[in-house]
Amino acid sequence: MSHRLKLLVVTGLFFTLPALSGAQTRSIISNLANPAIGFNALFLEQAAPDLNQPYGPQFQEAEISLISAVDPTWTLTGNITFSPDGVDPEEVYATTDSIPDISLKIGKFRADFGKQGTLHTHAFPFLQAPVVSVNTLGEEGFKDVGVEASWLTPLPWYASLTLGAYGAEEGAPDQPLNFGSPDHANIPVLGRLKNEFDLDDDTTLDLGFSGLAGAGAVTGTGRADGLIHAVLGADLTFRNVPLRQSNQRGWILSAEYLTRGTFREGVFQDESDGWFAFLQYRWSQSWWTGIRAEEAFNASTDVLAQADPSLTGHVRRASANVTWTPSEFSQVRLEYSLAQVDQVADASRPMDHRLMLQFNYVIGFHPPHAY
Amino acid sequence: MKHKKLCFAAILALALNTPAFADLKVAASLSDLASVAESVGGKHVSVISLCKGYEDPHFVPAKPSLMKAIQNADVFVSVGLELDGGWLPLVIPGSRNPKIQVGAPGFVDASEGVPVLEKPVGTVSRAEGDIHPLGNPHYYMDPKNLEVVAGHLARVFSDLDPSNAADYQANAKAFDGKIESALKGWEKELKPYAGSSIVTFHKNFVYFADRFHLKLFGTVEPKPGIPPNPRYLAETAAAMKKAGVKVVVYQPYYDADASRELAAKAGGTAVEVPTEVGGVPQAKDVLSKFDFIGSALAQALGKGK
Repeated sequence: MSHRLKLLVVTGLFFTLPALSGAQTRSIISNLANPAIGFNALFLEQAAPDLNQPYGPQFQEAEISLISAVDPTWTLTGNITFSPDGVDPEEVYATTDSIPDISLKIGKFRADFGKQGTLHTHAFPFLQAPVVSVNTLGEEGFKDVGVEASWLTPLPWYASLTLGAYGAEEGAPDQPLNFGSPDHANIPVLGRLKNEFDLDDDTTLDLGFSGLAGAGAVTGTGRADGLIHAVLGADLTFRNVPLRQSNQRGWILSAEYLTRGTFREGVFQDESDGWFAFLQYRWSQSWWTGIRAEEAFNASTDVLAQADPSLTGHVRRASANVTWTPSEFSQVRLEYSLAQVDQVADASRPMDHRLMLQFNYVIGFHPPHAY
Repeated sequence: MKHKKLCFAAILALALNTPAFADLKVAASLSDLASVAESVGGKHVSVISLCKGYEDPHFVPAKPSLMKAIQNADVFVSVGLELDGGWLPLVIPGSRNPKIQVGAPGFVDASEGVPVLEKPVGTVSRAEGDIHPLGNPHYYMDPKNLEVVAGHLARVFSDLDPSNAADYQANAKAFDGKIESALKGWEKELKPYAGSSIVTFHKNFVYFADRFHLKLFGTVEPKPGIPPNPRYLAETAAAMKKAGVKVVVYQPYYDADASRELAAKAGGTAVEVPTEVGGVPQAKDVLSKFDFIGSALAQALGKGK
């Protein structure tokens, strides 16, 4: 083939291929079934005189959410987070509602444990996760690969029973539970019973009990420690939403107790526990305010961790915040917290004053938050 | 022996006191749709509405008890056009009821077949507030649209319960007849005010205004879902005064203070008018709801003349 002919063929291909590929794209690939896409961004400004951290704005987290029906049986959801620590496929799971009375979830997701443990960061009622949550279940709940079945029982009130089984993993910095036993039989399991009662048209009572247990490993060795590690919890929430002012008024009074420990010869031995209780009050369409008290035993928190990550103590913390929500899709929250730690090995009593300002934005689709 | 007789009597009494089971258990996200379902289903259906008439249908709390209420429903009637999109995505899957999941034969999008108004053209942006990208979802404010819904429900009920199909079709036809007859009365009542302007809290009177030839001058909220501020209210009041608009209409679940303040500044009156069945005790079904709206508006507009 002469050089001229080759040049002609190449030039012809150069100009015709994009047209061909465009035609094929139009005819074969449809974007009509694209998933619903949402994007959430959190920015935080924090002044904490007792911490060795610079003041000033920080990028806290962004999250891309994707959700779509796969087919008539399955729906697939993905929540991918971006933070200064990196990218994390925080949740990727499939659900099906094809089985009467049972909802089935498969993949990586937040286990159905307690109230706080199921919340995404942008939906926390207070900017800081409760100290006891961080020290028992994990700052953002228990997130592992697993399967959960949730049964809506035939009882006359709303009573759902969730059973779950997950992959075995050893504790991580954000995951205090040690489920790392390499035994084949080590399949961490969860149980949760959630009850809801309508006290009247406006007020509900929500009462739940949760438990999560698995076999542990001797830290850093990969060998089974022969113990069953577990976290147990109970939660109670009163919620008032006046139906005539559902977008203007309301309050939430909620408390949760969590304990982490091990079963030795069938007896549960507590290693770290605590509680938190808060009241949120909505006084207009745009304004919320809240106060929270909490206590955690044998727990670590920022001011301790910066001295020595292995230190634990008796932590008490009080928080108050005010939230401005100009629309459903943006939120500015100002929060102050005061934490005090006792019973530290060196008998010091570090305190943590902290003032935080968070900006929270959502664009695109955003699934409604659980009641 | 005496004990056995007593037991038998108790069982018999219980059996006689137990109401007959409906052929279809129907749930709706909105009380207007429940009212239409009752008319079409008649004695063959039991119907509940998840949203009460005095509750903002955009912001229904997705209480677990709502999920429980529809656990055994055969049919779920959604408003569609994303009006219930803020809570239904939790409630429907939470019911664990495969019969009413989206795509199942028991799930009804009642907006299908309804001529939709205010479909956005061009770019859809939340800079315009919490707009509904599929068009204005308050179509149930036009009585004629409820005839479309009735026909749709008759078809679904007939498919799911063929043995009573003739009744469903007859009931839907009777419902249309009642609407047509009542419509003449409502049109006559509001005819003197054709071309009159009103201000509504939210853009939920678009279909009503279109049907009865009213003009919508503006809204109490500056943009959908955005609460009014004093400056906006002052500007709107000044514009109302200049144009001679004197009637502000709001629903039981909206901020009455803002509506009254706007009306007072404009030298007019604020009227609480339900847009959903059950919004006021007099609005017992769709017919009495429109009776109430027609009289309330005629009275308010009559005062302004």
